[in-house]
Amino acid sequence: MKAKRRVVTSAARPAGAKRQPLARRSRPTTAAPESRPGVEIRSAPASRPTDASDASRAAAGDLDREIDLSVDLGRGLVLPNPILVASGTFGYGVEYGDVVDIDRLGAICCKGTTLKPRIGNPTPRVTETPGGMLNSIGLQNPGVDAVIEKYARAWAGWKVPVIVNVAGESVRDYVEVTRRLEGVPGIAGIELNISCPNVGQGGLQFAIDAGAAAEVTAAVRRATDLPLLVKLSPNVADIRPIARAIADAGADALTAINTLSGIAVAPGRTKPLLGNIYGGLSGPAVKPVALRIVYEAAQVVTIPVVAIGGVTELADVLDFLAVGAIAVQVGTAIFADPTLPVRLVDELAAECRRVGVTSHLDLVGTALPKRAGTPSAKGVEYRP
Amino acid sequence: MTMRLAAAELVESREILPGQWLQAYHAPTIASSSRAGQFIHVRTGDFSGMVLRRPFSVNTADVGTGIITIHFRVIGRGTEWFTRLRPSDEIDLLGPLGRPFEVDPRSRHLLLIAGGLGMAGVRMLADEAIRDGRQVTLLFGAASSREVYPSSLLPDEVEYVVATDDGSLGHHGFVTDLVPAYEAWADQAFACGPAGMLGALARQAEGRRGRLGVAKLGRKRGGGRTDPVGSPAARRKAFLQVSMEQNMGCAVGACLGCVVMSTTGVPQRVCREGPVFAAEELVWEGAWS
Repeated sequence: MKAKRRVVTSAARPAGAKRQPLARRSRPTTAAPESRPGVEIRSAPASRPTDASDASRAAAGDLDREIDLSVDLGRGLVLPNPILVASGTFGYGVEYGDVVDIDRLGAICCKGTTLKPRIGNPTPRVTETPGGMLNSIGLQNPGVDAVIEKYARAWAGWKVPVIVNVAGESVRDYVEVTRRLEGVPGIAGIELNISCPNVGQGGLQFAIDAGAAAEVTAAVRRATDLPLLVKLSPNVADIRPIARAIADAGADALTAINTLSGIAVAPGRTKPLLGNIYGGLSGPAVKPVALRIVYEAAQVVTIPVVAIGGVTELADVLDFLAVGAIAVQVGTAIFADPTLPVRLVDELAAECRRVGVTSHLDLVGTALPKRAGTPSAKGVEYRP
Repeated sequence: MTMRLAAAELVESREILPGQWLQAYHAPTIASSSRAGQFIHVRTGDFSGMVLRRPFSVNTADVGTGIITIHFRVIGRGTEWFTRLRPSDEIDLLGPLGRPFEVDPRSRHLLLIAGGLGMAGVRMLADEAIRDGRQVTLLFGAASSREVYPSSLLPDEVEYVVATDDGSLGHHGFVTDLVPAYEAWADQAFACGPAGMLGALARQAEGRRGRLGVAKLGRKRGGGRTDPVGSPAARRKAFLQVSMEQNMGCAVGACLGCVVMSTTGVPQRVCREGPVFAAEELVWEGAWS
């Protein structure tokens, strides 16, 4: 029997049973999920035969088997599939519209949004590194009001749920941005960015301390009924107390990980390359770190974990599922391969057919320690 | 203009100058939809090392044959990867991207100014202008004669004037030294090159109207309303348009990696609002302080 400790509402059905609309979470919620476009409960696209590519269907043994890739991130935020696009790599969803069928994505996490407009950091802001890239955008964005005015109407018309990534310099900032997003049609959820390494004020300090992380999470939780994801930073000594604190403070799901802090040296070697000196490392280079953090976080919380870090192919998605994630965000790889996320949806459905499961949730947690129950006091040892 | 993902086959690849390559690709959709100033974003292999695409100006585009060319200098692993491609190898490109140069329909005399690899940024405009019956003077600056773009690769109709930093060919000095002599002749100027060169040109262009004593007659069209930054109208009305360069991530406007600062205080994306801007739209010094 596979380890199913990462119990998600939708995974707890009897094997082989046809998926029913999910039961509401018992948490009190005033906003009915149906009131938010993009989050209504529906069958996963992959269950419609036309959605799988011919190749993937040919590879499947049982063409009629229904594959349900939907995932429940809590508070009625049910994504049609577990492949999301990561904040900062997909703009506001409109930029890639010419080449990507965005309605086939699991969700779009939009660019980090703050209360006031931000002009961001000096250039250069991006540079390639071995197997990855550094960025120091510095949360350039037009501010929450402009984001709502410019994009919410379009989002409300999309099938794909849009999760707004929220950043701030103080707890009050986070709460105020959240309040303004509350009740706006087209906004399916919030991803709290408490881990941006590229801004001087705010951002990271909330993510490196369990108390601060819990405080900002709890404050935002009180301010909204929107589904709330909190994005973890890898730039910490031990993720477990932080993950636990955020879950206890009322987050519906965790996203792991944000970028790793790093620098590059300019040509001529007289100074650092990035205008902001420090940048965040992303791409395939960070995948082992992301796997480790997801592995550790997934064992100490009961809320869903959404993995992010260096996904470039199906094998990466399966690895993250194996260490306990129920969904995966694709980020840096989009720049080279914009259609990758949509292809991953098809490939994941084909993989489910190949191994004979009806949901990718059956592939979750297979690499976690097999004994169910609370981890020992020592937890999972990490030896660098 | 709709950007597309397209496969393109390498037709020809040669080193035209030490470390500088000219490659021709068969990409009919890009060739027929690109305008001078736009660029393509090309994937480099798989994810085994390099994770970012590389942006290249569309150097020339031939609608008849469906051939586009790119011109680049080998400066790192990505550009080095391109030199190893062989004819019939396929690349994956995204384009056409960005906004093109806008020539005022009344402009007869175009001054093109290129510094080094900036040639790739304005090269296609020479073709377009000559096709439209305009006169083109191309001022080109390089470090030495060894890096001077071969005149054989330019249309015959172009007047080609060269400056070298070491004086080994043409004018001894910067290409910007040549500009004043053409200030009165040119109806519009279009430049691509190092940031320092573009900044110097922008400062020169600022005082041009005053120096020439050109009176602004009549009522301003649109009642003096200023055109939004990045709009075609703002570029069309400008004397100097510049093609900007920045390290680029997505090249479609999603990542905000490649910005330059505008006079409105709002950073502009080189890949989306640019790469071509009216010089007066941009802040040339102390933009981020």
